[in-house]
Amino acid sequence: MDSQFWRSIFRTRLPIKTNLDRSLIIFNSLAMHIHPVKVRERAIRFSYTFYLGMISFFLFVALVVTGVLLMLYYQPAIPNAYNNMKDLQYVVSNGIFLRNMHRWAAHLMVITVFLHMLRVFYKGAYQRPREFNWVIGVFLFLLTLLLSYTGYLLPYDQLSYWAVTVGANIVKYVPVVGKSIRFLLLGGNEIGEYTLVRFYVLHCVILPLMMTSLIGLHFWRIRKDGGLY
Amino acid sequence: MEKNKKKGPQKDSGKESLSRRKFFVSAGNAAIGIAALGSLGVTLDFLSPKVLLELPRRFVVGMLANMQPNSVTFDAEHRLIVFRDKQGYFYALSAVCTHLGCIVEWKETGIPGHPEGVIACPCHGSIFNKTGDVIRGPAPHSLDRFKMYLEDEKIIVDMTETVSEEEMILKV
Repeated sequence: MDSQFWRSIFRTRLPIKTNLDRSLIIFNSLAMHIHPVKVRERAIRFSYTFYLGMISFFLFVALVVTGVLLMLYYQPAIPNAYNNMKDLQYVVSNGIFLRNMHRWAAHLMVITVFLHMLRVFYKGAYQRPREFNWVIGVFLFLLTLLLSYTGYLLPYDQLSYWAVTVGANIVKYVPVVGKSIRFLLLGGNEIGEYTLVRFYVLHCVILPLMMTSLIGLHFWRIRKDGGLY
Repeated sequence: MEKNKKKGPQKDSGKESLSRRKFFVSAGNAAIGIAALGSLGVTLDFLSPKVLLELPRRFVVGMLANMQPNSVTFDAEHRLIVFRDKQGYFYALSAVCTHLGCIVEWKETGIPGHPEGVIACPCHGSIFNKTGDVIRGPAPHSLDRFKMYLEDEKIIVDMTETVSEEEMILKV
C-alpha cells in the first residue's frame, strides 16, 4: 500500500501504528484538518450541542447541490420561470424530488439555524472569547433568511409575487434611503424582469458566496476560540 | 544650554514630520481612497437601471362618453380605480394598499356604516372609504390620489404625483 503512487496522493504514511500517525491523518488532510485532532468525550455527546450547527451546515450543502441541479432547468425570465418550475414538477425526471428537497432543506435550515442560536444562547456559549463568533452567527442567520426570501420569488407564482411585494415595501420604510434601496433591490419601481434576474443572481451567486466565506470564518473561529470543551 | 540643544532638533523634527516616504504613502492612500469611493459611486450608478419597461405614468384611462355617472372602473394594468360620481365628477385612486402594497378591491355592497361601498385590501384587512380615507386596518394613510385631466373628450390620469382630496376632483 505504501507505494510511491500512494504517497504521491496521500501525505499520510502507511501503516498507521501510533497516535501520532492517527493525528496526522486529520492534520494532513484538506477536508479533515478543520477538525481538532483530539476532542473531549463530553463535547461530542448529542446532548451537548444537539449537532445543530453541523445539521445546518449539511442542509446548506444539500441546498447547494440541489440548487445547482435546479439551475440547469431554470431560466430567470418572465414567463419562463413559472413554466420551468412547473416543468421541474411534471416533466423533468426526478425534478419534483429535487425541488421538494431544496424547499424542505431550506425550511429546515431556517429552523435548525434558529435552534442552534437558541442552544448557544441558553448555554452561554456566546461569552468571551466567543463574542465575535456569535456576531458572525447572527450574520449567517440573516443570510439564511435573505436566501429564503430571494429564493421565494424564483417560482414566480402569485405567492412569490405578493410575498416579495410585501417584503420590498417593508424595505421602503427604512428612513431616508428606504425608497432607493427598494429601487435598487427591485431594479425598478415594481417587480418585473429585472427583479427576477436580480433575485436570481443574489440567490445563486452573491449570497451563497457570502455564506460560504462566513461559514469558513465561523468554523475557523470555533477552533481558534478554544473549540468545544 | 543643553536644554536648548535638545529642544532645537526636536522642533525641527516636528516640522519635518512629512518625510518623502510619508508623503508618498499618504498620497497613495488618498488615491486608493478616491478610487474606492469613485468605484462605489459608479457601481451604484450601474445598479440603477436607466431604461425601465414599465407602464407610462400619464395615460388615457378612457373616453368621457364611455364612463357612466355613478360608475367605478378598475384598471388592473395601471392599478387604479376611477370613480365617476352621481353628480358627474371624476376622481382616481391608486389601487395599491398603503400598508404593504397589495391590490385593493372595490366592494359595492359596503360594510355596516358605509352602505355607499368601500375599498378593501385582501392581504391584511385594511378598509378605505369611497374617497380613499382609511376606515380601519393597518394601512397608515389614505390611498394615493391622482390628478385627472379632460383633453379631447379623453379622460387622462397623471400618476406622477399625488394630490389632495380637493385637487383630485375633475369636474366635467
